[in-house]
Amino acid sequence: MQRRHFLQTSVAALAVTGSSSAIHATTKTPAHHDITISRFKFVPDTLDVRIGDTITWLNKDIAPHTATANDDSWTTDELGKKQSQTLTITTEMSGKYYCVYHPHMKAKLIITS
Amino acid sequence: MKLKMTLLAASLIVSMTGTAKADDPSKLNDLEIAHVAYVADVIDIRYAHLALAISSNPDIHEFAKTMIRDHEAVNEQALALLGKLNAQPQDNFLSQSLQKGAEELITEMSQLRGDAFDKRYAENELAYHKAVNNLVETAFIPNIENAEVKSLFEAGLEIFKAHESHAEMMVKKVN
Ligand SMILES: [Cu+2]
Repeated sequence: MQRRHFLQTSVAALAVTGSSSAIHATTKTPAHHDITISRFKFVPDTLDVRIGDTITWLNKDIAPHTATANDDSWTTDELGKKQSQTLTITTEMSGKYYCVYHPHMKAKLIITS
Repeated sequence: MKLKMTLLAASLIVSMTGTAKADDPSKLNDLEIAHVAYVADVIDIRYAHLALAISSNPDIHEFAKTMIRDHEAVNEQALALLGKLNAQPQDNFLSQSLQKGAEELITEMSQLRGDAFDKRYAENELAYHKAVNNLVETAFIPNIENAEVKSLFEAGLEIFKAHESHAEMMVKKVN
């Protein structure tokens, strides 16, 4: 009986979580995302975002890095150790980006509507 | 040219790994290891400045600037740590042999121009990072006693491995 009650509560909690993200989808409240640059990788390396959202890139490496569009349409400044920069998502930011200093560091932003 | 390059890379590795007991890199203390690492960083920065002066290839320029930026960042951290530990790096046989090898190579590379320089520079960057990474991974990191020094070397190794892959890309580009 006790256990059954617990299960029902969990289901209710899930339902609430689900509906809050549904509200988010319809009202399009800008969201904030964090991308960490660590050990020569963007984490996460693929991110779903919406126009108007913000992203903060934080460099945890000693080596300076950048986050720069493959087509050069946007870029962060040089990010030294423990430096971060926040950009607001615009249409042209959809697609692949990389680190200008270490071209094998690759990542992607996917703009969803 | 290829053969000469391979021989040089091999002699660099041999001189770095050493055979005689007195010349055993794994017997160096933390302050000697720190000295070797500092010298190794400075050498790669010197190669990069040579590349910026001689090469007209934009990819080589980008690569060389990254070498300068990253090796300077590592050396800055190393100096800060040594300062904090109130320690002075100690000169040793390995630092001296690296210096000597670098002097010879700089003399040789400064005679080259155009594609010949770009190839030589890229190939040396690959061989040099490989040799240094091997040394750091097998002889230094397992023997460093100070935990902070060890963790700086682990971070440094991460960077130099990234440089090694980057150098591999450069070698393919210029060949
Ligand atoms: Cu980078």
